[in-house]
Amino acid sequence: MSFEELDHTADVLMRVRGATLGELFADAGRAMFHVMYGPCEDRGIERQISLDAENLESLLIDYLSELLFITEVENTVFCTFDVDIQGTRLIAALRGEPFDPARHSAGSLVKGISYFGLEIVKEEEAYVVEIIFDI
Amino acid sequence: MLEGINKIGDLEWEVPIGYVPNMRVSGRFFLSRTLAETLEEGAVRQLANVATLPGIVNHSLAMPDIHWGYGFPIGGVAAFDMTEGVISPGGVGFDINCGVRLITTPLTEADLAGKKRELIERLFTAVPTGVGAKSTLRVSNKELSEVMVDGARWAVERGLGTDADLVRCEGEGAMPGADPDAVSAKARQRGVPQIGTLGAGNHFLEVQVAREIVDPEAAKAFKITEGQVCFMVHCGSRGLGHQVATDHLRTLESALAKYQIQIPDRQLACAPIDSPEGRAYYGGMVCAANYAWANRQVIMHETRTVFADLFGIDYDEMRLIYDVAHNVAKFERHDVNGTSMEVCVHRKGATRAFGPGAPGIPHEYAAVGQPVIIPGSMGTSSYLLHGTTTAMQKTFGSTCHGSGRVLSRSKAKKEVSGKELREHLAGEGILVRAHSDSALAEEAPEVYKPSREVVRVVHEAGLSKIVARLEPLGVIKG
Repeated sequence: MSFEELDHTADVLMRVRGATLGELFADAGRAMFHVMYGPCEDRGIERQISLDAENLESLLIDYLSELLFITEVENTVFCTFDVDIQGTRLIAALRGEPFDPARHSAGSLVKGISYFGLEIVKEEEAYVVEIIFDI
Repeated sequence: MLEGINKIGDLEWEVPIGYVPNMRVSGRFFLSRTLAETLEEGAVRQLANVATLPGIVNHSLAMPDIHWGYGFPIGGVAAFDMTEGVISPGGVGFDINCGVRLITTPLTEADLAGKKRELIERLFTAVPTGVGAKSTLRVSNKELSEVMVDGARWAVERGLGTDADLVRCEGEGAMPGADPDAVSAKARQRGVPQIGTLGAGNHFLEVQVAREIVDPEAAKAFKITEGQVCFMVHCGSRGLGHQVATDHLRTLESALAKYQIQIPDRQLACAPIDSPEGRAYYGGMVCAANYAWANRQVIMHETRTVFADLFGIDYDEMRLIYDVAHNVAKFERHDVNGTSMEVCVHRKGATRAFGPGAPGIPHEYAAVGQPVIIPGSMGTSSYLLHGTTTAMQKTFGSTCHGSGRVLSRSKAKKEVSGKELREHLAGEGILVRAHSDSALAEEAPEVYKPSREVVRVVHEAGLSKIVARLEPLGVIKG
């Protein structure tokens, strides 16, 4: 559904909302790539990841950390995230484009995902989580 | 000042036991009234949270650049008993051994006249910067293991520096205890292409001038003179360090139940120092720290080469004063209540500031104390200080690391135009080179606490003493 940046002096704090857990994870990925690179276009690069964890919060951290790893070693910027979650198993289909320093240098390098205050909460119509990206 | 905090000295404050539940010791931090205006309650709570960890010795401490981070506050220092205590990636941060080195040149500002822009452009080309930066060095996976064990020495043995450089690094540019097996294949994959790259965020390579000598005697020992052109390198362990932190944080978080450790914040995940998980994190963290020392050594070499070529000076005339780490955990011996004991000191956004005669500092600086290098924010002064006996007594030999943010990145981007900032700084004679103006806005001087105030507090509190003030002439921004 959406993500919004909240005020945080040292790092970047994002509040992410999704109607389903899949949407929540998809938007968390979108939020992180927005922080790192700014605008991105789908130019046909495809990638799939699957993960399993002991709980949803750890799954979210593992998923975002995996995206950080992939973007860095494969020089890929992702813009669409199709995430399916069954219990604490995740399969994500990602689409994006090759990293281009001319177009992708407006953002901030994310060093890691913080556990601080990270809790997935089910509200009436959506799942909500606040994530601190270490910059 | 925030409620519930006690003033115990001119610049010293106490966070009493009970500020958060289960504190084992009290908290202490150093701050002036001016800096107290921007103190966040969240940062104090994080300082108090650290005091709940098993085996913490004396106090949970924070330096005057304290601000809200995750796990430990930024500016946090804590020492742990080697038997009862824990080690935590949350007390080090993702950028393991982010640090700074300062190098003098035989040039004066006048020598740069007419060549400054060319200098900055050539440095920008020579040192890969920004997101996605890749090294020009080719390093095999086997060589990466050598980097992780040997640190700066690895670079010197490849001809990227001299033996004299090694003596002038904290721990001679490498910590003992590296365990390359504790570094995952993913971390290695990130580390191979990035050695010798500056990275992004607040990292920089800056050309500076020593504008003011405050302590002539210490300046003589550090061999820095007024008007001398210097350069400063600020960066860390890049993706390798980030991945080591991510991997071990995950393992330690899963092991909390095994060791029956209760923590108020999962980012404080930790394990006993002498447990399999604790030892693995330490061994991996040391690998990343050593990688960072090699990284700064390579960047210094590239910078020296550009200076030598452009100004016709000798490589050896550019003397490394010192290299300090400001995100690391180390085993050190300290005097605790009259007894010498080994402790694991975590410094997260804090600099070691060993005083005169302390072990492990270069012989040539023994009478003065180790050099402490505090980078300013973009466009503002940086400082060279020396360590003190007071720091040894009060803060496990630690001081501040920088200025500390007061404005979020999103607000900075709204309030500051990167282009205008670049033009404004150019008007003041400071040339800034970065991949994007937007990245400049995030690091604008007004988003940080004034470095002079942070440094004044550590100087007056005696945690380190000012030797010289350096002003920027040109900045390569990461």
